[in-house]
Amino acid sequence: MTRPIIQVKNFTKRYGSFEAVKNISFDVAEGSIFAFLGPNGAGKSTTINTLCTIFEKTEGQLLIDGKDVSREKNAVRQSIGVVFQDSTLDKKMTIEENLKMHCVFYKVPRAEIEERINFVLDLVDLKEWRRKPVSALSGGMTRRVEIARGLIHYPKVLFLDEPTTGLDPQTRNHVWEYVLRLQKEKNITIFLTTHYMDEAEHADDVAIMDHGKIIAHDSPFGLKKQYTKDRAYITTSNAPKFEDLLTQQGLNFEKRERYHRVDVEDNAKFLYVLSECRVDITDMELRKGTLNDVFLDITGREIREGGNA
Amino acid sequence: MAVIKALCIRNLKAFWRNKPALIFNMILPFFFIFVFSSIFAGAIAMMLAGIIIATSFDSGLRVSSSTIDDMTSGFMKEVLVSPVSRFTIAVGQFVSSAIIGSVQGLLIYIIGVIIFPDIRPNSPLTVILVIASMAFVGLIFAGFGLLLASKSKNMQTFQALSMALTMPMTFISGAYIPLFSLPVPLQWVGRFNPMTYAVHFFRDVAIVSGDEIMKYTLAREQEVLQFWGLNITPTVSVLILVVFGAVFLFLSTMTFTRIDFSKMNRNIMDAVEMWS
Ligand SMILES: Nc1ncnc2c1ncn2[C@@H]1O[C@H](COP(=O)(O)OP(=O)(O)OP(=O)(O)O)[C@@H](O)[C@H]1O
Ligand SMILES: [Mg+2]
Repeated sequence: MTRPIIQVKNFTKRYGSFEAVKNISFDVAEGSIFAFLGPNGAGKSTTINTLCTIFEKTEGQLLIDGKDVSREKNAVRQSIGVVFQDSTLDKKMTIEENLKMHCVFYKVPRAEIEERINFVLDLVDLKEWRRKPVSALSGGMTRRVEIARGLIHYPKVLFLDEPTTGLDPQTRNHVWEYVLRLQKEKNITIFLTTHYMDEAEHADDVAIMDHGKIIAHDSPFGLKKQYTKDRAYITTSNAPKFEDLLTQQGLNFEKRERYHRVDVEDNAKFLYVLSECRVDITDMELRKGTLNDVFLDITGREIREGGNA
Repeated sequence: MAVIKALCIRNLKAFWRNKPALIFNMILPFFFIFVFSSIFAGAIAMMLAGIIIATSFDSGLRVSSSTIDDMTSGFMKEVLVSPVSRFTIAVGQFVSSAIIGSVQGLLIYIIGVIIFPDIRPNSPLTVILVIASMAFVGLIFAGFGLLLASKSKNMQTFQALSMALTMPMTFISGAYIPLFSLPVPLQWVGRFNPMTYAVHFFRDVAIVSGDEIMKYTLAREQEVLQFWGLNITPTVSVLILVVFGAVFLFLSTMTFTRIDFSKMNRNIMDAVEMWS
């Protein structure tokens, strides 16, 4: 793993007596995409808000680029960009005014401001809207303005708290294109939270959070490997031969009315069975495990998509 | 410096773009002038001075109510997550308040002079002093307002608090009704009201020499304002305000820099959750 840019050790956050985040620890590698996946109230926003110096931690140590988020606030603030869960744009002002203000706050050199505004607005396709007040934009556009603003000072780490909640699928895809492009072009570390399984698939690392705890942390591939099975749905004209071979190879299966459902735990063995039966097989489908299955497997519940409590 | 300038420009733009509030705030003072001048006939100059300074006081508070707005609308979060120190932000809000306070006061002064030509200033120095005083009052009460805002943390509490405080503060200050004409207990309240001293010194600054009613009012007010034999001259009033302002600017900056956002906005979020 490359140098960790975010380090969290034994972080706990209490609101009064309520423990929202319970002693979590994790690292995020520089230049990677890290996703926090979890249902409502898991403690995702609490962690982001604390990492970006807005909330005070209760216990633990949180470092960004080696700097302590509760003691070296200004150094940390200079090196991060944040898109909060709820919009923090200045609605009375235009897009341009919002971006300029942000540049002043982050000491972007005066001579570069114009160029950077053009660059980020181009990135999120909002060039023609530059002089419109934020209150006149749609929800998706507002979100894109916020992402643009979070990037304009070239942060080392970009925090995105549910960047795509409430966006239509097309805009969601767009936002993701921008995010991935950025991560590649500028080597920015991206820390995001989401309810959407398919979005977490883009990440290099996923931490699944529930009730204030990290219950699993790995790459999406690793998680699926550990917690889910790939399944094959096979229709064959010679069921007895197929079943014999499966049993012989030690592969679990279930016979259904029209097909056999096979747990593909070992690709080599499964391929062997398939090749032996290839003349009899009339239909087949392979389903990969999803992060949803991972969550289901660990907690026994599904993450409700959409995010409404 | 760049940040303070940017905040001021932003606040001025917000002030200017909020047209309904702008118009209302320009009309209200004249409504007061006409109502009270029919009661205290001939005392236009005195009335106008009181009303102008009450306007600056109001703008001071209004900038802080826009701070509350910014906190609840989320924009303050963007400001506070930036590497700008909270102290600078507080100063930016104070300076904006001083500017808006004097701009608004000045507009009313100009309109007032056009409608009532006999109160026009007799020297450029008066004009400069008038503007400086309005900025001074706007600044001081911005400190007071920001303290209220940081303490109340949401719009409802802030509105209730500021209503409960600003009404008596403007009415028991001599701005509209001279203190000497109020019952003695209210005169006592007036003595502990910082606005009283703002009104007191501003009248002395703004008033055309030779206005008899004004001279009379000032003399009578001065009698009321005596504190155990100590004579409160307009200069003493300015000193009192400086002390009051210093205390409030200090306290509000301290409170503002220490706001913990995880303790904020809960009731607003609850309200949102209730409807979603
Ligand atoms: N300011 C606060 N004061 C008190 N409790 C809070 C506060 N903010 C969050 N909580 C509580 O802490 C828990 C975690 O909240 P958090 O906002 O971190 O969840 P989340 O994972 O971001 O959820 P969502 O997906 O709904 O955004 C919740 O039970 C919430 O009610
Ligand atoms: Mg959240």
